[in-house]
Amino acid sequence: MDPIVAIGAGIAVLTGLGAGVGIGLATGKASDAISRQPEASGKIQSVFFLGIALAEATAIYGFVISILLIVMK
Amino acid sequence: MDLGKRLIEALGFQTVFTIHIGGVNIAITETVVITWVVMALLIVVSFLVTRNLKEIPTGFQTILESFVEFLNNFSKEQFGHSYYIYAPYIGTIFLFLIVANLLPMFSPIGAFGRAPLFELKPPTRDINMTAALAIMTILIVIVGGFKKRGFKGWFKHLAEPIPMMVPFNLMEFIIKPMSLALRLFGNILGAFIIMQLIEAVAPIGIPPVFSLYFDIIDGLIQALVFTFLTSLYIAEAVE
Repeated sequence: MDPIVAIGAGIAVLTGLGAGVGIGLATGKASDAISRQPEASGKIQSVFFLGIALAEATAIYGFVISILLIVMK
Repeated sequence: MDLGKRLIEALGFQTVFTIHIGGVNIAITETVVITWVVMALLIVVSFLVTRNLKEIPTGFQTILESFVEFLNNFSKEQFGHSYYIYAPYIGTIFLFLIVANLLPMFSPIGAFGRAPLFELKPPTRDINMTAALAIMTILIVIVGGFKKRGFKGWFKHLAEPIPMMVPFNLMEFIIKPMSLALRLFGNILGAFIIMQLIEAVAPIGIPPVFSLYFDIIDGLIQALVFTFLTSLYIAEAVE
């Protein structure tokens, strides 16, 4: 493998940083909200899952691009 | 085996057989075959469990009824009073994704230097599969929108709130299915690659522990997220 391709793939996976921060924030806020209003936990959970899925997508895009870089060369 | 070689092998798709129709060769990959297995499993099980339903539910029928009721209530909450059109689609996609994501758990593994007889790899690790599901969803979104607003009203709602928004509203029909397909594909492929690496490094004892997260929880969450986003997009179009 060309070293520059390997470096590119590594940089692409750095998108995980943003997803990590986003999911951390979402989890913190969700647990805050549930502890404040435990009776609304069902609704909070569904919104929370949706937010996580959307935040995680950025990491997945980076991952897909790095896989493409490695496989397609 | 060399890690890189194993990884490349895991990423590829074997062609099981090829169909020749009038000079056109259609390659049937293992993704398609495993999808057939999932479909057959779902059809046979649904046929068997709904064979003799009784007025007063007993045994397995109670589980069945509570699942259908959960689905109907969820759809009612999302789509309003025309829920009965979309509830079957949501339920089918959910069941299909659960079975497709959990099936690889039952894949036989090689032992004593011998390769397993067959391998069940998740069909959702192929982007063609997830893209097909996403295109189905966006078609339902468009058709549902037509049904709700009428032919003229649908084109009119593209120019809302201001006519300048038309290209952005049109772009949604490409971005939504793309993000749906890529999310499912990337998650399942990532979990699959990590499991392959773990199995290559430590074949005994360690993989089941990680499999608990990467195969079961991740598969279930992704099935849930795909279904949830699908229902959200449809609800946005038909409400």
